[in-house]
Amino acid sequence: MSKNFNDKRADANTGVIAPYKTDLFTHIVSLSPKFLLLLLILPVLGGLLSVLLPAFSWVPALEKTTLSLQGFNDLWQTPGLSQMVALSIGTGLISTLFAFVMTLMILAAFFNSVWLTRIERLLSPILVIPHAAAAIAVGFLIAPSGMFSRLISPWLSGWELAPSGMFPHDPYGISIILGLTLKELPFLLLMALGALAQPELGKKLRQQYKVALNLGYFPITAFFKGVLPVLYPFLRLPILAVLAYASASVEMPLILGPNTPPTLAVTIMQWFNDVDLNLRIKASAGALLQLALTGGLIALWLGSERAIKACFNGTLINGKRHYADALWQKITAALTTVVIGFILLALVGLVMWSVAGFWRFPAVLPEQLVLLHFQSAFTQMGTPLFNTLAIGIVSTIFAIVLTLLCLEAEQLSKKPLSKFTSLIIYLPLLVPSIAFLFGLVWLQQLVNNQTAFFNVAFTHLLFVLPYVFLSLASSYRRLDPRFAHVAASLGATPAKVFLQVKLPQLFAPLLIAIALGLAISFGQYLPTLLAGGGRIATITTEAVTLANGASRRTSAVYAIIQMALPLIGFILAWVLPKYFFKSGTR
Amino acid sequence: MYVIKSLPALPTLKNLSRYSTYAMVLSIGIGISASTASPTTDDLNQNLSSWQQIEAQGKNQDVYFYAWGGDPQINAYLQWAAKQVDDKYNINLVHVKLSDTSEAVSRVLAEKSANNNNKGSVDLIWINGANFATMSENSLLLKQWANKLPNFALTDPESNPAVNFDFGVPTNGMEAPWGQASLTFYYDSLSTDKPPSTLNELVNWTAQNPGRFSYPKPPDFLGMSFLKYALVMLHEQQDANTGTNIKAQLNLPATEQNTDIILAPLWTFLDDLHPTLWRKGEQFVQTGAHMRRLVDDTELSLAFSFSAPEIPAAVQRYDLPQSIRSYAMSDGSLSNTHFVAIPYNASHPQAAQLVANFLMSPEAQAKKQTPAVWGDKTVLIQSTLDPEQQALFKTNKPHPSALPVDAIKRTVNEPHPSWVDAVMQGWQTRYGVSP
Repeated sequence: MSKNFNDKRADANTGVIAPYKTDLFTHIVSLSPKFLLLLLILPVLGGLLSVLLPAFSWVPALEKTTLSLQGFNDLWQTPGLSQMVALSIGTGLISTLFAFVMTLMILAAFFNSVWLTRIERLLSPILVIPHAAAAIAVGFLIAPSGMFSRLISPWLSGWELAPSGMFPHDPYGISIILGLTLKELPFLLLMALGALAQPELGKKLRQQYKVALNLGYFPITAFFKGVLPVLYPFLRLPILAVLAYASASVEMPLILGPNTPPTLAVTIMQWFNDVDLNLRIKASAGALLQLALTGGLIALWLGSERAIKACFNGTLINGKRHYADALWQKITAALTTVVIGFILLALVGLVMWSVAGFWRFPAVLPEQLVLLHFQSAFTQMGTPLFNTLAIGIVSTIFAIVLTLLCLEAEQLSKKPLSKFTSLIIYLPLLVPSIAFLFGLVWLQQLVNNQTAFFNVAFTHLLFVLPYVFLSLASSYRRLDPRFAHVAASLGATPAKVFLQVKLPQLFAPLLIAIALGLAISFGQYLPTLLAGGGRIATITTEAVTLANGASRRTSAVYAIIQMALPLIGFILAWVLPKYFFKSGTR
Repeated sequence: MYVIKSLPALPTLKNLSRYSTYAMVLSIGIGISASTASPTTDDLNQNLSSWQQIEAQGKNQDVYFYAWGGDPQINAYLQWAAKQVDDKYNINLVHVKLSDTSEAVSRVLAEKSANNNNKGSVDLIWINGANFATMSENSLLLKQWANKLPNFALTDPESNPAVNFDFGVPTNGMEAPWGQASLTFYYDSLSTDKPPSTLNELVNWTAQNPGRFSYPKPPDFLGMSFLKYALVMLHEQQDANTGTNIKAQLNLPATEQNTDIILAPLWTFLDDLHPTLWRKGEQFVQTGAHMRRLVDDTELSLAFSFSAPEIPAAVQRYDLPQSIRSYAMSDGSLSNTHFVAIPYNASHPQAAQLVANFLMSPEAQAKKQTPAVWGDKTVLIQSTLDPEQQALFKTNKPHPSALPVDAIKRTVNEPHPSWVDAVMQGWQTRYGVSP
C-alpha cells in the first residue's frame, strides 16, 4: 500500500517541472547528498574496519602483526558466552516487541481521540530522560527497598529491613526489558505520531479510518486494517533502530542487569576497558559477534514482517468488523494507566531523592527535605553545562542544515534519495555503536588529536543526523509543491524559494527536529566519552560517572537537569509556532 | 611472622647508603623544608636549576588530570587543587572524570598505536597497582621524574619503601605518591550490634545474617582488595597451623606451578561464603559505591571501603544512615599507596610535574587528610616536616561514624600484582557464571 502511495506522490511531483538556473546554491544543494554519504560512511565503516583488524590479532601497538583467529578462539572459550548472547538477544528482542505492541495498542485504542495527544504529552518527557537516569529511576521502584516495597512495609509485609529480592539484576533480564520498554515506547509512539502529523498522510489515514468506522468496523479493528498497513513503513526504521540499540546498549544492562554474566555489549565494553591490553583482541572479536547478533535480529524482524504480512494479508479484506475490540480497549486502557503510573511514580521518586535527607527503609517519605544535593551539584556544573549546550547546538545545526540541503536536492532533481542513501543515513543507528566507536576513535587519533571538542561534536553528528532526518524528511516531502511552483514561476531563484517559501512553512517541524537533535546530543554517553578522550565533560557523562560512583541523591539531581534541558527545547518547539509563521503549522 | 616482608627489593633499598643517589633527593628535601638551609653540593644546584627550568616551562599551561570521578568529595578537593595551581603557576588543571582508571590506560595505548608520541591527551593520571604495572610494562609512562620533585623528600623515601614500590613493583621514579589507603569495614548498628572482627568471624556472621553482606564483582578494585585480604589471611592461618611459609610466595610473581596451590584455600573459603551472601552470591554489586547504596537501602548491613573517611562524609550528606559505624578488622587491614603518573606522550609534562609536586606539598596533603574534605591519609612523614607544617595536620573531633583513631592495629601489604590476574581469572571461571 505504501508503494502506491509513494507512486502517487511521484506522479504529483513530475506533473509540473519548474526549471531553474544553476547557481552557487543549487550547486551546493546538488552536492550535499554525496557529502552526506561520505560523512556517514567514512566514520562508520572506517570504525568497523578498525575493529576488524584487531579482531584478527593485528595490533601494531601490542607488537602483534600476524593475522590469526586467536581472538575468536578466546571469545568462544569465555565462560557464559552463550548466556551473554541469550541475554542480549532476549532483552533486545522482547523489549522492542513490547514497546512496538504497546505503541500499536495505544494508537489503535486512542486513534482520533483527544487521549492520544494527552498520552503523547505525558510520555514524551520520557524520551528525553537519558537511559542511565531512567534505569536508576526504574531500579528504585522495583528494588527490594524500592517504592513498591516501601508502600507495603512494614504494616503489611512486616519488613523492617529490605527483604531479599530478585529485582533489579534478575538473571533473566526482566528488569532490563522493563527499563528498555518504558524508554523505547515513547520514542516509537512519537515517531508514529510524527508520521501521522504529515498533513497529507495524516489526513488520508484519518479519512480511511472514518470510512472504515462508517462501514461498521470497530475502532481497533479499523486501525489495524485501515491505518496500520500504510503507517507501518514509516515505523520500520525507528523500530529497527530501537532493536539495534536494545540489543547492544550498555547503560541499562549495566544498572539493571545481572552480572554473572552480563549482556554481551557490557562484557565487550569491560574487555575494551580492561587493564590487560591483550583483551582488546578478544573485545574486537566480541564486537564483530555483537555486529552479527544485531544484524541477525534485524534480519529476523524483517523476515517476521514478511511472514506476518503473508499470513494476515487475507484477514485485511475478510470483512470481519471486530475482534473482541471492547476487551482490547479495556486492556489497553489499563496497561496504559499502569505504564504512565509507573513512569510518574519513578519521576516522583527521582524528585524525592534529589531533595532527600535521611531516608531509611521502610519510610515512604524522606525524613527531611534538603537542597544540599542541588547546591553541591550546581557548584560543579558550569563547564559540563556549557559543553553540553555547545556540542548539542553545533551538531544539531550542522545536522539540520545538511538534512535540509539533501531534502532540497531531492526536490530540485525530482528524484527521491536512493534506497542506498536512505539506508546509509540510518547506519549509525543500525550498527551497534560499541562495534564501531572504538575504531572511530582510533581513526580520529590519526586525523586530528588536539581538537577534542570537534571530535565529540562530529561523533554526535553521526547520531543526531539520522534522528533529525527522520523527523524532517516526511514533513519536507509533504510540502505542497504548488507554493514553490508559483514562487518559481514568478521568477524567484531556488535559494529564495528555499529560504522564503519552504522554510517558513516548515517552521514547526524544524523546531521539533532541532529539539529532538539537541535531546539526542544531550543524551550521548559512549560517543562523548570515547571521542573526547574523556576531556569533554557533559551533563550526561557526569551523570553516568556519578551514577556509577556517588549517591542516588546526586544522580537524581543530574537526571532532573538532564531532563530539564531538552524539555525546554521541546516546550519552545511547541510554543513558538503559535506566535510565528502560523500558516505553516498544521 | 607478623611483619610481612612483601617487598623483595626492600633489603637492597635499605642498604643503600646515605651518600647514594637517594641522598641527593633527601638533601633537596631538607633544603626545601628547612627553608633557611642553603644548597651545598653541585649536584643539588644542578637539580634545583633543572627544577627551576621545569617551573619556568610548566607555567601557564593546561594539565589534563585523568582521575576517578565517582566521589563528589574527591572532585571538590581537585577543584580546590586546581584553584591553587592556577594561583601559583597559572596552570589550568582540568579534572577528567573517569569511572575506571583503565579508560585512561586505553586512551594512552590508543594514542601510542596511532603514533601520537608527544601530543597525548593525558597529562597526569591517578593510578596504582595493576594499572601501573600494565602501563609500566608497555612503556607508557614518563620515567625518573617523581623522585626529583622537591616535595618527594618529605615522604622520607630512604626509610619509607611504600613510596618507591607500587604493589611490590618498583616505581623507578614514574609515580609520585599521593595518598595511602587501608581496607576498613562499616556496619549498620541498627541491624547488627556485633560485626565480625576477623575473617573467620565474617563467615559465621554471614551464616547468621544471610544476604546482608557482599563484595564488588572482580575485577572491581575494591572487590579484588577483599579477595586479596582473604587470601593473605587464609595463608597466614594455614602457615601458623602447619609451620610453613607458603604465604611468602604471594610477594613474588604468580607462576603456573604455584597458582593452583596458592589459590586453593581462597576457593574453598568462597565456596562456603557465597551461599550466605546477598542474592546468594549469584549476583554481585558493581562497585564500592553500589555496595554503599545497598547499605543505605538496608539491603546490606555490613560493607567495606578502601577510603575510611568517605563513610562519615557519606553520612553527613545523607547518603548513609546515622546508625553507621566504622571499624578495622583486628586480624589485619590491607594497605597500599596510591600515586599520580605522567604518560610518556603527555602534552604538558613539566606542568604535570608542577601539579604532582603541589599535590605532595604539606599544604595539599594536610587539606586532603581533613576528614571533612577527603580524609585520605598523607604520604608525608611527620619527622621531615617543620612544626608549622606539622600543625597543618591537626584535626578536630571526628564524626561518630568515622573510623576511630588508631583503629588499624595491623597493616597487611598488597600481594604482587600478578596475583590480581590469577585471582580474577580463577574467580571468573568459578563464579562468573551463575548456575
